[in-house]
Amino acid sequence: MKSEPQTHWQPALMARIKSMLPIDWEIIRHMGAEPIPYHLKKWWFCLGGTILYLFIVQIATGIALTFYYVPTPQEAYASIVAITQEVRFGWYIRSLHKWSGNLMIVAVMLHMLRVFFTAAYRHPRQLNWCVGFLLLGTTMTFGFTGYSLVYEQLSFWGATVATNLAEAVPLIGPWIAFFLRGGPEVGENTLTRFFVLHIGVLPTVAFILVAIHIFLVRLHGVTELNFDGETVPEGKRHFQFWPDHATTEILIGVLLMYLLTILALVFPAGLGEPANVNETPLHIKPEWYFYFNFRLLKLTSLKLSVVLTMAIGAIAFFWPFIEEWFMRRWRVSDRLPVTLGVLAFLLFLMLTVWEAFA
Amino acid sequence: MSLNIKRLIVAALSFLFLGALLLVAYQESKRHRVETGLEPVITATNSGCVKCHQTDAPALVKDWESSRHAQLGVGCVDCHQAEKGDIDGWTHEGVLISALVTPKDCARCHTKQHQEFAKSHHAKAGEILASLDNILAERVAGMPGNMADAVNGCWQCHGSIIKFKRDDKGQILRVGKDSKPVIDPDTWPNSGMGRLNPDGSKGSCHACHSRHGFHAYVARSPENCGKCHMGPDHPQIEIYNESKHGIAFYANRDKMALSKPGDWILGRDYYAAPTCATCHISGHMTPQGINTGNNHDVGERISWTLRPVVSTKINRITYDDGYKEDYPDTRQLPKIGAKVDTTEHVVENEALVKKTVNRTVKSILTWQERRTNMKGVCLNCHNDTYVDNFYKQFDSLVTLYNEKFAIPAQDFMNKLTADKVLNPAAPFEHEVQWVFWELWHHEGRRARHGASMMGPDYTHWHGMYEVSKHFYQKFMPEVIKAAATKGPAMKQKYEKLVNEHLARPEHVWQKGLKPEEAEALRRSYEERYK
Repeated sequence: MKSEPQTHWQPALMARIKSMLPIDWEIIRHMGAEPIPYHLKKWWFCLGGTILYLFIVQIATGIALTFYYVPTPQEAYASIVAITQEVRFGWYIRSLHKWSGNLMIVAVMLHMLRVFFTAAYRHPRQLNWCVGFLLLGTTMTFGFTGYSLVYEQLSFWGATVATNLAEAVPLIGPWIAFFLRGGPEVGENTLTRFFVLHIGVLPTVAFILVAIHIFLVRLHGVTELNFDGETVPEGKRHFQFWPDHATTEILIGVLLMYLLTILALVFPAGLGEPANVNETPLHIKPEWYFYFNFRLLKLTSLKLSVVLTMAIGAIAFFWPFIEEWFMRRWRVSDRLPVTLGVLAFLLFLMLTVWEAFA
Repeated sequence: MSLNIKRLIVAALSFLFLGALLLVAYQESKRHRVETGLEPVITATNSGCVKCHQTDAPALVKDWESSRHAQLGVGCVDCHQAEKGDIDGWTHEGVLISALVTPKDCARCHTKQHQEFAKSHHAKAGEILASLDNILAERVAGMPGNMADAVNGCWQCHGSIIKFKRDDKGQILRVGKDSKPVIDPDTWPNSGMGRLNPDGSKGSCHACHSRHGFHAYVARSPENCGKCHMGPDHPQIEIYNESKHGIAFYANRDKMALSKPGDWILGRDYYAAPTCATCHISGHMTPQGINTGNNHDVGERISWTLRPVVSTKINRITYDDGYKEDYPDTRQLPKIGAKVDTTEHVVENEALVKKTVNRTVKSILTWQERRTNMKGVCLNCHNDTYVDNFYKQFDSLVTLYNEKFAIPAQDFMNKLTADKVLNPAAPFEHEVQWVFWELWHHEGRRARHGASMMGPDYTHWHGMYEVSKHFYQKFMPEVIKAAATKGPAMKQKYEKLVNEHLARPEHVWQKGLKPEEAEALRRSYEERYK
């Protein structure tokens, strides 16, 4: 199609807008032209962006669900039934929220695998690993509190078990459990507290952590990876964030939306029996990402499993510093952390599958 | 380590992660299908049975697959397993089993329910085998060598004595490669409530909990009880259907939560109507917010017996071994701790025999306490004035039947027997015996049951109307007719007795209404049909 000749009012309007927004557009352009290492052209290196995309989906669908959800023990389950069965497209939004949440946790884990095995957490990026690890914790807490809001039998009893776990944390456990439950036992206040955590506290925490995470990535730049045998001409070692990388991310976003829709259509979010405080279900199960912990609990004891989880968490959180100290002291090759990482992840997978089949 | 190797490690772990997630998803969806009843749990023990029987008897297996049992992995062998030495057992495909599943088998898991049921009136339903009802079926309707009426009629509700075919030496006949014992076809199939089983247990859980689905909603539905509680002599289901309770049930069936797993509590799980199970077995809420729980002893809330010629209120004695016995309120109650001779019916050598057992009285449940138990159900929907007044209406009907018809009729029958007009060994020799039988066993029960469950038509037209009509028009004339068979003197004696009785104030209406009553009646008909 032949392009229209530019009319005189367009530059005038642009000038007017620019005067209303006195921003140094050069800086914006410069920021958008951030050089991205060439390996990010491959989608499996774009998992950080995938998580961000899924997080945005969660915010959008979450706000939509909040319009209809009633956070009281008497109304919660019925409002989910209404969202699923009566509200127009309610089932779709709810299914998107559920699947996007699950995929987000998968993406976070894959992202961590990539970062860990490519040693992208090493100096000077140790702090960003720690922030990332906090984001993992935030994401899982999102999942746990969100699942509890459904107020069906399994989610209710899952919350009961989880708050019992929290109670077993040394020293501050009883206080955390009381804070979460809003009383000595899971009851009327618990649901309200989980709701506030899920839609208020956690999103705020997540926003701050994501901002720091991205800010640190920008400050340090993305870790450059040099694969053996790959020769990349100097001019092609980097490409621009805008528009090149942004296009890749948008494409991934479209594909994710496609995948989420298929999942929502084929496996729409279901509903179990409504929560009954007097009847413990035959099998109590948390969501899959807590299976490893649940199995650990069954294999050991409440106290021991909590202490073990905390110890594993602490090691993972401080890993960049621990590894650095280890390597300096014993001068071990990086085979050791890789082997440890493989073993740890295999253990996680084994405990997860074991719990599923138990 | 080169970046390429690390890349391969990440790829491998990612695929393993994906595989693990798919495994978890597969297992969880399978568990979900099992828990929602979409998929049965077939244990290794039962897989052999299912494999063959899903071809041999596909509907039976599918029915089981739909059951709660199947969801929990309780299958064929768990219920049908026999113990070494069981006379009904045989080895089938390497497993010692029995076709008969008795309450004792069910009690392996449902212990409380069995304990309650085993001492209940339901469990004693088979003891009718020595009653007039059974004589009617076996002897009056039957003929030597053919008890088909009892087999197909009475025993299908009351229960049979399970018997086996035997050879000349008294040994049980066994057939086929598995040496399967041959059950006497007159005695099984049978799902009678008080079936007398070879293992000594009484009853059949299947009577209410139909196999092989064992769905709670079946036992909770009134039609379930209607298999037996119906007809001319105890039309409870028909009465229920015409009552406000029945109307409410059929109109609100979808609100009854009949399929609810676990407890089914009136006032908590449902509210729309009561069914038979609601009032007689299931739990309900109390004003204090307590769930009473259910009780498989159906008699715990019954204060009248409406079955015999003359109704009495009934107290319940429970003995130290759990055995229970009803005492009419006309009978002196024993003291707690007293030793009492009790009569129990047991099966010995495939025959019902009476045994006297000395037992110690442990507790007494008075008829008033039983009534309070029932009122607990009523009070979930009605206030106490309403409930008390209902019981006044009900009591007055039973008293009316007792005093005006049952006691006098029984008195005439006793006199005829004492005068040797009637032979106790020939219960259906004279017309008067038939009329008397129907007067109390059919019509009198219909009236009493009708009042007990608020069925107005059964109380009056099918009940008291028939009782009155036959008392005056058939029973009294037949008393004289029977007496006449012993000569004119006996006839005269009974004519005098009958006339004396009919001269009582409650019978003088026969001589004509008072002038003002007759006038009111005439006017009423003129008004209604002018």
